[in-house]
Amino acid sequence: MLDDNLDPTISPKESDSFEERATPMGKATINDFGEVYSSYAAGCLDPAFCLLVETQSALRPEVARAVARAETIAGVFFETEERAAISAGAMDTALAMIDAFEAGERPQARLRAATLAGEGLDELLHLPEPLRETALTSFQSNKWQGLTQGIRRLKLDAGSDAEVELYRIEPGCTVPRHSHKGSEFTLVVSGGFSDESGSFGPGDISLKGPNDTHQPTGDLDGVCYALAVRDGGLKFTGMMGLIQRLVGQ
Amino acid sequence: MSLLSRKGCNSSGLGALYECEAAQGKQVSLETTGSDPSERERLADCIEQIAAAQSRPAFAEVFEYFAPRLKSYLMRLGSDSSSAEEIMQEVMLNVWRKAGQYDRRQASVSTWIFRIARNRRIDTLRRTNKPELDAEDPMLQPAPAEQPDITVNRAQLETKVRGVIETLPEEQLVLLKAAFYEGLSHSEIAKSFGLPLGTVKSRIRLAFMRLRGSLERDH
Repeated sequence: MLDDNLDPTISPKESDSFEERATPMGKATINDFGEVYSSYAAGCLDPAFCLLVETQSALRPEVARAVARAETIAGVFFETEERAAISAGAMDTALAMIDAFEAGERPQARLRAATLAGEGLDELLHLPEPLRETALTSFQSNKWQGLTQGIRRLKLDAGSDAEVELYRIEPGCTVPRHSHKGSEFTLVVSGGFSDESGSFGPGDISLKGPNDTHQPTGDLDGVCYALAVRDGGLKFTGMMGLIQRLVGQ
Repeated sequence: MSLLSRKGCNSSGLGALYECEAAQGKQVSLETTGSDPSERERLADCIEQIAAAQSRPAFAEVFEYFAPRLKSYLMRLGSDSSSAEEIMQEVMLNVWRKAGQYDRRQASVSTWIFRIARNRRIDTLRRTNKPELDAEDPMLQPAPAEQPDITVNRAQLETKVRGVIETLPEEQLVLLKAAFYEGLSHSEIAKSFGLPLGTVKSRIRLAFMRLRGSLERDH
């Protein structure tokens, strides 16, 4: 059964576009992301990339399966975890936290969506989770910015050093030709866009390196929403090799 | 900036850690305490008792089993002792809160709690202090329905992974663990184990072929 292939880095013959071979300046494949899924499963992936992986999982069943496989392997290793010494009063602390919870104490203030009401709220409601919540939360302090005709962007607060933005591209409108200080990962959430390296539909990830320039145009069949994550030219350390390979450096 | 976030964790020390464990006669491979079937059933019973009757004795049993293991996992990823304990407490409170969502047909308690801990750990990496959205707020309706996990039977996957992983040679197992449990990239693993990158990739690949081969025999 192909679905049971456990290896996120050795892909079965799933005939989805996410399975196609990567080109340095083009579409990411599930093969490219094996190490990203394993570090996500372990709890070590940067929050901006967690948002990218989780949102893509919501759009693509084969990504959800690859992530679940990685999580299962991680979970089985957790069964063998050692026992660290915990403080003597730890159990009492836990029971006190349960008492506080049951008494209705909530540690964090809740944000009412009413405070978000206004232009741009409705469209955010249709985004897949967890992007929806990140976008709604960010929308309280950040507004849509017009870039050029038919192109708007919303800065997202993903709790990462990476720049994270939601793009809204109207049909036939073109983002001005640009290059990047660093690497850029763009996940199509709905609709689609095309550039010199190809066409990208929901769940596709476009990869761009520092030397790539492009000029994406929104497809004509509807508004395109896309999640862009950029390292802003900052030096990657941890997964430098992986990123360099992905963007063909 | 790093894609990987392991606060204060020196990955280059991992090779030494394994050597040290080996020297102490400790096996890095699966000591199957957590995968003993009767123990798994008992822990699943406990979670169901928490859900059905807010049973504190059942919670105490789950806490006793998992709290030290959660703390060890969090410290392995670079938390110091006191913040590991703080995160562990939040995870255990979430176990209490979410017990009603646990389905023993879907996953073992251990992998269910691991995912709660992993998500909490990612939350701690987020540098944001904004208030949470109130999920009950009528303005936010209609929320997209929570999709049932129909594409993946995690319990089945778990049984198979557990079975195969016990038969892996040590040299493959330690690398698989470094990638999937410690979250290291292949090049980081190469550096910390002092192995060529190609060797790391081929051993991890071999481990996967083994997993895959066994699954195909089952069908």
